[in-house]
Amino acid sequence: MGHKRLRFLGVVAAAMVFTLACGGTTGGGTPTKTYKIGLVTDIGGLNDKSFNHLADVGLEKAKTDFKIQADVKESKSGDDYVPNLTDFATKNYDLVIGVGFLMQEAVGTVSGQFPNIHFAIIDGAGTDSKGTDLKHSNVQSLFFKEQDAGAMVGVIAGWLEKNGKAKKNKHVVGAVGGISIPPVNHYIAGYKWAAKMEDPSIQVLVGYSNNFTDPAKCAGVATSQINQGADVLFQVAGGCGLGVLQSAGKASVYSIGVDADQKDADPSVIASALKKVDVATYTAIKNVVNNQFQAGALTFEIKNGGAGYSVDNLDLPAELKAELDKIEGQIKSGALTPPADIPA
Amino acid sequence: MPVGSVLFAFVIGALICVVTGANPIAAYAGLVCGGLGIGCTQGENPALQISNTIVFFIPLVTTGVAVALPFRAGLFNIGAEGQLLAGSVACCAIGIKFADLPAPILLPMVLVGGMAAGAIWAGIAGVLKATVGAHEVVTTIMLNYVAQWLVRFLIVGGPLELAPGTSKSHPIGAGAQLPTLLPADNSVIIFGLPASVFRVHSGLFIAVVAAAVFAFLLWRTAFGYEIRAVGQSQKAARYAGVSVRRTIVLTMLIAGAFSGLAGAVQIAGVDHNLTDKFFNDTTGFDAIAVALLGLGSAVGIVLAALLFGALHTGGAIMQSDAGISSNLVLVLQALILFSIAANFVGAIRRGLPFGRRASPELPTELPPAAGLMTEAAVPPPGKT
Repeated sequence: MGHKRLRFLGVVAAAMVFTLACGGTTGGGTPTKTYKIGLVTDIGGLNDKSFNHLADVGLEKAKTDFKIQADVKESKSGDDYVPNLTDFATKNYDLVIGVGFLMQEAVGTVSGQFPNIHFAIIDGAGTDSKGTDLKHSNVQSLFFKEQDAGAMVGVIAGWLEKNGKAKKNKHVVGAVGGISIPPVNHYIAGYKWAAKMEDPSIQVLVGYSNNFTDPAKCAGVATSQINQGADVLFQVAGGCGLGVLQSAGKASVYSIGVDADQKDADPSVIASALKKVDVATYTAIKNVVNNQFQAGALTFEIKNGGAGYSVDNLDLPAELKAELDKIEGQIKSGALTPPADIPA
Repeated sequence: MPVGSVLFAFVIGALICVVTGANPIAAYAGLVCGGLGIGCTQGENPALQISNTIVFFIPLVTTGVAVALPFRAGLFNIGAEGQLLAGSVACCAIGIKFADLPAPILLPMVLVGGMAAGAIWAGIAGVLKATVGAHEVVTTIMLNYVAQWLVRFLIVGGPLELAPGTSKSHPIGAGAQLPTLLPADNSVIIFGLPASVFRVHSGLFIAVVAAAVFAFLLWRTAFGYEIRAVGQSQKAARYAGVSVRRTIVLTMLIAGAFSGLAGAVQIAGVDHNLTDKFFNDTTGFDAIAVALLGLGSAVGIVLAALLFGALHTGGAIMQSDAGISSNLVLVLQALILFSIAANFVGAIRRGLPFGRRASPELPTELPPAAGLMTEAAVPPPGKT
């Protein structure tokens, strides 16, 4: 019988419990002001290769540029949002950042309890349980002009069709959205607008999977669009959209990723429309450090480097590169404004 | 000795810390501070930590009971999660539909509605077991999926959704909400913080009463005796005149009512609406560990739920204070379960005489996890 050995293990463990009860004295103050920044991820965690990861990248960059103490809490479930935000708030952090619209209600609740603590939330606002923005004077919303990023990848899709550089060249491209909600439609609006601008004879198919998580649902919509002749597919459906990228790969057509650089998701990904959450996070921290925190919405777009695109598994032709630079410059200068609503 | 399982897990957890270059003392200090509010060094508010732990503790007790009761009848209820979700849905639907009713009417309605929905959800598995002999492990697992997707359907483009794309339901009426123990008021300062920060709610009493009812039912009623008789040996119970089918169905109904109550209390006391967090809620699965660790006794379940609640709350503090990923907490929970399943408990109980006395109700040669194996080998009731 192994119980003697187990009993020994138990004694060792008991000893450890005693030592830890006496330990744990760390810390100590610093004379100059160190800003304390707390980041709370949503349930995607730091390795989601998207929002949470990018927010952490922005936090790390801020850490090297400013005198800050940066702490991260990963939420294991939706139950953790309020306690995680509250913990940072009770410790008088100078800025508490919530990642993603899933945390809207939690940020709304906690920001009301701690009016002297600054909060920032990516892609959302501090709301009540009915989704109404509470407009607390200590909450900053970090929003994105998704249509700017959508327009840039729309230029790529339209240019490829017009110049016969796509796979089928039937002047048909597609976009697969998750659910028909504003952030999704902003992307698609910019995409369709720019594709039509590049190639007036183009047909842009728009479909919705009504899902953000199940790749199979998006694969179905993508396959239907491919069967209708589409040879560039833009996914705007989060995890569900991986099904779009994979379907495009199987059918040997091109695909376009969303939010983060999705180059590695599938070889068919030629470009990605980017929401630069890292830039937004960094900017929010910079504002607090410079004593320039502002409540309300802060919008990230091409003009301030908060939205953009990446070229992925594609050898970018020089003419297309020139076209992209031209359009990007015109959007920056205000000569062109991608629409927020999907054009007819 | 479940304490041995816990210590075993913590020792292995400490080794993992050391091997990966982290400081196990700092890690566990963070856990203790976060979970119990003791020995905090970085400005955590002890009262807040205890409040958060209790919020997680409440549903774990009630669902823990819902796993432990069928266990006494030799049934393995893996479906506490699905039953909890059914209870949450019923509570929400009633709380939204009759939002204008006053609390004395609406609050009992949502709680009883949640219990009824949970009972039906578990009752399906009970009836199938008693009639066609479908194994409850399989049916309850499948019903978990049905419940999870039902929640998805209801709040993603479904009838309970607040507005398109919100992935959550309308909030329940004020009369359906369980009051918090401290005033839910931002302007009242208690323990140095706005009182509304303390989310601990009156569901605490419901959970404690549920544990007491469980103990009373099991040890002080004739039906409790029948449950235990069926659990020890179905043949003997049948020979003694106990209806095995009736006992199985009733046990599952009662267990489901406990789980459904947990779901209703969670909505009424904390969330006040169905959100997408219920898509990957794990309370009902943690409850299996709680019931096993608590050796199926009311006191044991309360203690085990306290441990798991404290681990949950402590994990986040450990991550921010000690810089160790809160995933370590999941490792610890898994190790606790593993050491129970791997029969360390039985080995120790056989070796130590006082362990036998501590839980005389369990057959020494059949530790909890082994019950699953023997039950699987028993032919469906009523077919012999």
